[in-house]
Amino acid sequence: MFKLLEGPQTLGRGKIFWSCFLAVLAGALTYPLFADSYDVGNFAYFLIWIFMALGLCLMWGYGGMLSFGQTLFFGIAGYGYGVLAINMGGGTATIAALALSVVLAMVAAGILGYFMIWGGINGIFFGIVTLSATLVLAFFLGQTAGPEWHIGPARLNGFNGMKGMDPLAVGDFYIEGSALYYVMIALIVIVYLALRMLVNSGIGNVIVATRENPQRAEMLGYDVRKYQLLTFVIGSGLAGLSGALYTSWGQFITPSSIGLPAAAMPIVWVAFSGRSDLTATLVGSFLLLFGFQTITVYSQQAALVLMGALLLATVMLAPQGFVLGIGKLAADWWSGRRPRDDGAVMAEAGRLQSEES
Amino acid sequence: MSAEVFSVFYQFADVFAFLILSAAGLAIVFGMMGVINMAHGEFIMCGAYVTVGLVNLGVPLAIAQILAALTAGLIGVAVEFLIVRRFYKRPLDSLLATWGLSLIVTQSMLLIVGSAVRGIGTPEGSFAIGGYTFSTYRLVLFGCAVAVLGGLYIVFMKTRFGVIARATMQNAAMAKALGARTGRIYSISFGIGTGLAGLCGALYAPTMTLIPTMGATFVVESFVTVVIGGANVLLGTAPAAVFLAIIRMALNASYGQIIGQIGMLVAVILIIRVLPEGLSSVLVRRGR
Amino acid sequence: MNSGRKLGMVLLGAMLGTAAGVSVARAAEPPLKVGLLEDVSGDLAFMGMPKLHGSQLAVEEINKSGGILGRQIELIHLDPQGDNARYQEFGRRLLNRDKVDVLIGGITSASREALRPIVDRTSTPYFYTNQYEGGVCDASMISMGAVPEQQFSTLIPWMVEKFGKKVYVIAADYNFGQISAEWNRKIMKDLGGEVVGEEFIPLGVSQFAQTIQNIQKAKPDWLLTINVGAAQDSFFEQAAAANLNLPMGSSIKVMLGFEHKRFKPPALNNMHATANWFEEIDTPEATEFKKRWHAKFPDELYINDMGYNAYNALYMYKALVEKAKSIKLDDMRKVIATGDACIDAPEGKVCIDPKSQHTSHRMRLISVGPKHEVKVEKDYGTIQPYWLGEIGCDLTKKNDKDQYTPSHLPKKS
Repeated sequence: MFKLLEGPQTLGRGKIFWSCFLAVLAGALTYPLFADSYDVGNFAYFLIWIFMALGLCLMWGYGGMLSFGQTLFFGIAGYGYGVLAINMGGGTATIAALALSVVLAMVAAGILGYFMIWGGINGIFFGIVTLSATLVLAFFLGQTAGPEWHIGPARLNGFNGMKGMDPLAVGDFYIEGSALYYVMIALIVIVYLALRMLVNSGIGNVIVATRENPQRAEMLGYDVRKYQLLTFVIGSGLAGLSGALYTSWGQFITPSSIGLPAAAMPIVWVAFSGRSDLTATLVGSFLLLFGFQTITVYSQQAALVLMGALLLATVMLAPQGFVLGIGKLAADWWSGRRPRDDGAVMAEAGRLQSEES
Repeated sequence: MSAEVFSVFYQFADVFAFLILSAAGLAIVFGMMGVINMAHGEFIMCGAYVTVGLVNLGVPLAIAQILAALTAGLIGVAVEFLIVRRFYKRPLDSLLATWGLSLIVTQSMLLIVGSAVRGIGTPEGSFAIGGYTFSTYRLVLFGCAVAVLGGLYIVFMKTRFGVIARATMQNAAMAKALGARTGRIYSISFGIGTGLAGLCGALYAPTMTLIPTMGATFVVESFVTVVIGGANVLLGTAPAAVFLAIIRMALNASYGQIIGQIGMLVAVILIIRVLPEGLSSVLVRRGR
Repeated sequence: MNSGRKLGMVLLGAMLGTAAGVSVARAAEPPLKVGLLEDVSGDLAFMGMPKLHGSQLAVEEINKSGGILGRQIELIHLDPQGDNARYQEFGRRLLNRDKVDVLIGGITSASREALRPIVDRTSTPYFYTNQYEGGVCDASMISMGAVPEQQFSTLIPWMVEKFGKKVYVIAADYNFGQISAEWNRKIMKDLGGEVVGEEFIPLGVSQFAQTIQNIQKAKPDWLLTINVGAAQDSFFEQAAAANLNLPMGSSIKVMLGFEHKRFKPPALNNMHATANWFEEIDTPEATEFKKRWHAKFPDELYINDMGYNAYNALYMYKALVEKAKSIKLDDMRKVIATGDACIDAPEGKVCIDPKSQHTSHRMRLISVGPKHEVKVEKDYGTIQPYWLGEIGCDLTKKNDKDQYTPSHLPKKS
């Protein structure tokens, strides 16, 4: 089974890659020992968003489905966590609230996905339908300010947002600060490895085959719609995980986390990082979240200009994404002795091109 | 009674004009050329700011508006040359590039021009029917929307440039082999698209608050209109706007603006589900 | 809160206490850190800029005149770009990493609500400097702006008396608009007036042809315009173009959004508002204040009430700290509880109400003329923020950490 950790669908194989992986993991695990507690909490916060990015990478990069509405599921699970945590009370029940809210997002994804995929919606239409759906939810929640909008004691509270839910907890122990950080690291590792195994498995091959050519995959006897739905549900479930964790982190969620421009952010992270690979998305999204925050802190009003310039430069200079672009540079530099790496990158580029055409 | 009838027509015309004017430029850039132009709103903003700037310098409004549209068109040609032409082969990346551009432009405008610009006022003129009073300028907007539709149809269906442009969008390699200068065709088409966006901003400038992020209020409506119009933008955009305008107007009038907005988006979802290729697919099929 | 954190808090508090205690002895004190969160990018930049400027001006003045308790002020401003998530990130950053002594800022009610859960878990005071829909009963928060009982209880009776009993409401479709509309309903009912129409507009909507006709159909005597944001402000231009020509009242127009400076006359003709501050106030103190402001920021289009309140917030903080001789929230609240937390502001004397921790204001009713000239119609003198106290919020006894509205009142206990 662990053989599936490596394969044609993911970059990185062999001893060197896994040694690097373990080194990064070890670094991440020891980081709280010498870092400021604020920074640890802040890193945990960045990791919260990564699930949504990985989910979109699976759907868009591997499955060829560009969803512009991942914040729909982010919002459903985020509000779901709030409603459940308030209604079920704090403490260990918050863990159940987290799990249930993710399931809720996946059920919603199942319904919307069935509606779209069995209706033959694809390409940019897929993006517009998901965007419309997420905007509908945002508009709806925005007008729920009155006290009549409540589920049990949980008030939706309109544009000002829902609050008053407990953060994740086990008994009396709140999962915050370093504890939250370690939980996030564990979840990221599990999700990342599980996704690697998924895309390198038989199912993953069908998903990629469907992206490349749905008719051909259909001819080979696969009901591609089922595989697309599965991809959509998993990807959206991950967006939901981000949403529930976000609500728990800030004990607060508002409709602006669901509408524009929030809906565009996951696409920006994944496109910036390089949508064709999970590792690239993981690393790139983290760097971009960290970079954007740092730019905003230190450059005041020029921040948005710098962020725009960064995106523009990336997409013009590194067509396959920031992380893969840097990887290619490193590979070129290294390739005096090892042309094989270059070959891998070329194959990668070929894969991207076939996807576009 | 006639006042009520006219009122319904006026409301329809108003929403229709808004949809057509905000979507016309995008219909070319996105619908025909396939560039996901997230900076569409910024070209609209550009048109509005140039108009206001020129009027404050003493240029008459109508001339300022035409000059603003031309400015937006020229900037569009430059943007096409510097950025967009690298992305015809990878349309999804155009999303990221133009989004970056949009961030740069809005924030630079904020830093250079400031956060608020004094408006120029809508041209005088209102008329009364029954108990209602109406702004004449809104009817001018409707007239402009119809003129834009007509103009687009003539340029892309009846002129030599239009035929070559459509051929280029369908199969650039083939058009090139037949001697079309596809590079120039792309850049002129993009310029027309952004020029129309600028025209939209120019026309709405007197009626709106000017802030650097004003383009955002147009973007969702314009994308939605173009998408449900479908692949054939020249045939699809007008019926799409009519359809959305009727839904929006009816819901606005009876249930208020929120339901109007939600209802329009739900209608979009349903129509794409029923007609995955957009409205124009039906029209084209009938046409055959 | 786990015990480790609590212990840390106690230790930190003890350290700060000691630091304040020995402050007289040492010459080179570390500066007081003031954390400021104001949007100077994005849609709200035109309101956020004056707020930043007001804070900068106050910090400069206070530092020149010797600081607070002999300590200089260090202003740390971050720009959350109008994004609630950024408010939370930066709120945490300022509180936990920069360890600011006081947090100020936030424009929309949503941004304030994003900050409150974070502030409530620390012992840092938080100043919210906007006029708003009112009702927040939270011991960590001190509100500097005007609230509905100061604005609507003055404006609406005046409008009814002058123009008639039928009102049509255009409100932004979010909490501020909805709660303000609720206030209007309540006051109109008491006055025997009639709300002939209420329309809630989603944020970002800029087209109002339908709204204008709905208004004409309902035939109101006057309009209550509590629409919010640059896009929705387009209503005034479009209403003027359609020759709607009705008297208007508002709690946020003119002094906050300076629409009379941004639109071409006569779009704002016949607009009325009650305000604690507007740039056209011409008392000697106000004139002096405006002169200092324009000397530092010559390009400022208008000194709005938000910017003015932001300026006052720092002086109020200074007054509280100096009276308490401590920078701890608990000590400052003891000063507030005495009812003696007052400053002489450019509008006149303003004090913090002990029960609600909101600020009393000198309210004036202003009107806008056809050339957009501003005239004071009536001076109400000082009005207390009495509503929260009346309905049972008493922060000297109990910290509710809730926001109340006329339809969401505290539970009787």
